[in-house]
Amino acid sequence: MLGFLILLAVFVPILAPYNVVQAWNDPGAWTNNPKLAAPEWSEIFSGKHLPRTILLASNGEPGGFDKVRISFNVSGQTYTIVVLRKSFSFQFDTFPSEIKLFMTAVFGNATGTQIRVFWDRPDGQEIHLFDGNPSVRAPYENTYSLTGPSFKDPSYAVYSSVRDWLIAKNVTNQTEWASLYPTSGGIYQNPPQTQTMLMGRLNRTILDPETAEVLKGNYSFRIEFSGFTPTDDANARAVVYGTVFGLAGTDYEGRDLLVALLWGAPVALAFGVAGALASVLIQTILGAISGWYGGFIDEFVQRTADFYLIIPTLPILILLGILYHLGILLILFVLVVFGVVGATTKVVRSIVLQVKEEQFIEAARSYGASRSRILFRYILPRVMPYTFALIALTVPAFIFLEASLSFLGLGDPSLPTWGHILGDAYTQGALFASRAYPTGLWWWVFFPAAGIIFTTVAFALLGYAFDKVLNPRLREQ
Amino acid sequence: MPLPVLDVKNLVLWYRTRKGPVHAVDDISFALEAGQTIALVGESGSGKTSTANSILRLLPKNVLRYEGEVVFDGQDVMEFDNEEFRKVVRWRGISMVFQGAMNALNPTTRVGSQVAEPLIVHYDIDRREAADQAIEALGKVGLSGDIARRYPHELSGGMKQRVVIAMSLILKPKVVILDEPTSALDVMTQTNIINLLKDLKNTEHLSYIFITHDLGLASELADLVGIVYAGQLVEVGPAEGVFVRPKHPYTGKLLASVPRLRSEAAPDFIPGVPPDLTDPPPGCRFHLRCPVSFEKCGWSAPEFIEQVKLLQISEETKDKVPAIEAMKAKDTQTLLIKPVANGTIAEFAQRLTSFIAQDQETYRFLKSVESVQSKAKVVEVKLHEAMPPPLIGADWRASCWLLEAGGS
Ligand SMILES: Nc1ncnc2c1ncn2[C@@H]1O[C@H](COP(=O)(O)OP(=O)(O)OP(=O)(O)O)[C@@H](O)[C@H]1O
Ligand code: SF4
Ligand SMILES: [Mg+2]
Repeated sequence: MLGFLILLAVFVPILAPYNVVQAWNDPGAWTNNPKLAAPEWSEIFSGKHLPRTILLASNGEPGGFDKVRISFNVSGQTYTIVVLRKSFSFQFDTFPSEIKLFMTAVFGNATGTQIRVFWDRPDGQEIHLFDGNPSVRAPYENTYSLTGPSFKDPSYAVYSSVRDWLIAKNVTNQTEWASLYPTSGGIYQNPPQTQTMLMGRLNRTILDPETAEVLKGNYSFRIEFSGFTPTDDANARAVVYGTVFGLAGTDYEGRDLLVALLWGAPVALAFGVAGALASVLIQTILGAISGWYGGFIDEFVQRTADFYLIIPTLPILILLGILYHLGILLILFVLVVFGVVGATTKVVRSIVLQVKEEQFIEAARSYGASRSRILFRYILPRVMPYTFALIALTVPAFIFLEASLSFLGLGDPSLPTWGHILGDAYTQGALFASRAYPTGLWWWVFFPAAGIIFTTVAFALLGYAFDKVLNPRLREQ
Repeated sequence: MPLPVLDVKNLVLWYRTRKGPVHAVDDISFALEAGQTIALVGESGSGKTSTANSILRLLPKNVLRYEGEVVFDGQDVMEFDNEEFRKVVRWRGISMVFQGAMNALNPTTRVGSQVAEPLIVHYDIDRREAADQAIEALGKVGLSGDIARRYPHELSGGMKQRVVIAMSLILKPKVVILDEPTSALDVMTQTNIINLLKDLKNTEHLSYIFITHDLGLASELADLVGIVYAGQLVEVGPAEGVFVRPKHPYTGKLLASVPRLRSEAAPDFIPGVPPDLTDPPPGCRFHLRCPVSFEKCGWSAPEFIEQVKLLQISEETKDKVPAIEAMKAKDTQTLLIKPVANGTIAEFAQRLTSFIAQDQETYRFLKSVESVQSKAKVVEVKLHEAMPPPLIGADWRASCWLLEAGGS
């Protein structure tokens, strides 16, 4: 178990370089991923082939959009026409979660510059999706959502195009549409899911997302751009977002949770081991000094330990987190500072008091070994085995602390730790079942939680294993 | 007469406890010549280990009194400060094999480095060289060099004991204190260890202080024997003498209590328990258990009362004792007895006196009565004065009032 974790900790930085982690908080870095997608393998539960994300690259990239550009002059007026076209095959059993078109455009004069977007279906139907004016110039992208899951405004162009197309094909009529998709105060109560209409079989089932059947086959985008200067140009890319992604799914920003899960392991390990190692070792040495030298030193260390034991570390950390937004190293530092003396100091002291009376210590005194030599060469080696067990058992405590802080949003904001993800999932209501996600966003919660449990159990088992090895009765054999 | 290598004079070591001072070593003196072995023999708790510890100045925190002279090699090392003592005496001059060698080894360190540890502590020599010397020392005690790489728990009890002996020899001391070096071993291993110690004594020119409660082992090894009772040496003298013709009744009892193979006679035993060292008995410390105690041995009034009560309780003896209502110690040597009211005080005193006269050979505490006087309502019994017996003799000393009387 532990071996697996350590392997993970070693290989993760190689497999998923740190810059992936740096991009974690950059929403722009994750636009090609579906949001809140379940893991790909979860389709075995539904028995359906669930849509993966299809990336349609821009012109110039391999497999990208095809492009024709002509620029010509009529009576002193330059016209530039760009036609972009890309088809793709869609063979999945359910509809994509979202379809987006991203366009870059170079244009001189904004007025009159126009794009017209068409959608061709495997059944030969073509839908004129919308006409628009690009609003930003390259290199920035104009983003058009064809499905607009977050729009409820009935005036959204794609809604009208789809509605008009369905009416033209006699699938529905104005009144039925209005009753199926009622509006109130100028917004849809329950907006039509355009992706089902764009990609469903053209019959009455298409009106209801529950009954619509996927029309498998080749779809294509066709985009016509027209501008008025010789340098005008346009390019496009599109993403047909799936409903499943990767091994661990995605969160509400479309971030690949696998990255966070994998990176969570080394972070948790490093944090837990470093924290436990530092605090337990310091506590051990102080406890040993306290027990061995006795007297004033003992009194001082023990009273300090008593004091430290009643300091509520977590609330203090929460306070510090709120005030200063500590990075992970600072959190570790604060934890270690608040853990220089504590329970381990007391445990070790009592072990030392016992070891102190053993004959071999007396023997060492008798042949003249100095007090510090006895402490470091005789007593500490005797205590160390217990210390190792304690370290192993303390690691989970540190991992839990970090997770708790991150969960409360007080951890290191720049690192996708397991606690951090759980915190995100919690604030986004991941566990509430919705119509789109009848089982809730289980993967968002399950994997980081499993990671924490796995790691803590691994260390607890290690601790118990140490315990067993160190049990004198077992050791004598 | 050669100068003794170790001359212990009036050594005292008392511990402070909640019950009061423990007189663990109470005025012990003996001298040991080079090459001699003294066996310190005594019951458990008599203060043998404490004597050894006070020679090596291995004191616990609760020391109350620690005084006397320890002359080692002509120098009174009691005068040394701790650092000097550590440098001169500890292990270089006098080393020790601790009681229960099983635990005297550090379980986490290899045997070789433990044997070498005193070398490193004292001479700060190179590890390699220390390891070589350790292997050499292990060879001397009959262990092969590869033992050096083992951990203590991989060794048998006898091997551990040899390791500890090797460790005590590593700095070539003149005196080795062996505190019950064989008590946890089986008889065959014991014999092997004793033979080893004999050989080492000759090849390494050692003097031993051999602490044991086993008289058989003591007679194997010892030139001198010191019998320790309640923190004191009650008899010390040449082994041939002490074992054959003991002067002190306690030594006699000890010898009689050794079981003999194929002997018809059951081994004798010593009645009672060793005295409580927080409150050692006055006079001779052995008088409560001594089979031949008499007037001078030092019974005190409270002890007398205790003994009378024991007689009153016992079914056999309760009729012999004159009827008594109450007894009370007036001072340490005087007690008042109030008789049950029938007859006069004088009559009671009469009965008491005749009881004492009749039974004093059986119940020897009765011998301590000096006088019986009738008072108004009570009888006052005066006991003989309690004085500890002095050590009598020169090369063979014992502390028993009988010796004074017999003029031996
Ligand atoms: N540190 C101490 N504090 C108080 N009392 C002690 C201490 N060490 C020993 N004693 C007491 O002093 C007395 C003598 O103890 P010591 O260990 O010298 O006896 P011993 O003759 O070596 O007995 P044994 O044969 O059992 O080893 C005992 O009554 C013991 O309880
Ligand atoms: S002085 Fe001698 S006779 Fe008297 S009690 Fe002591 S040992 Fe026995
Ligand atoms: Mg002892």
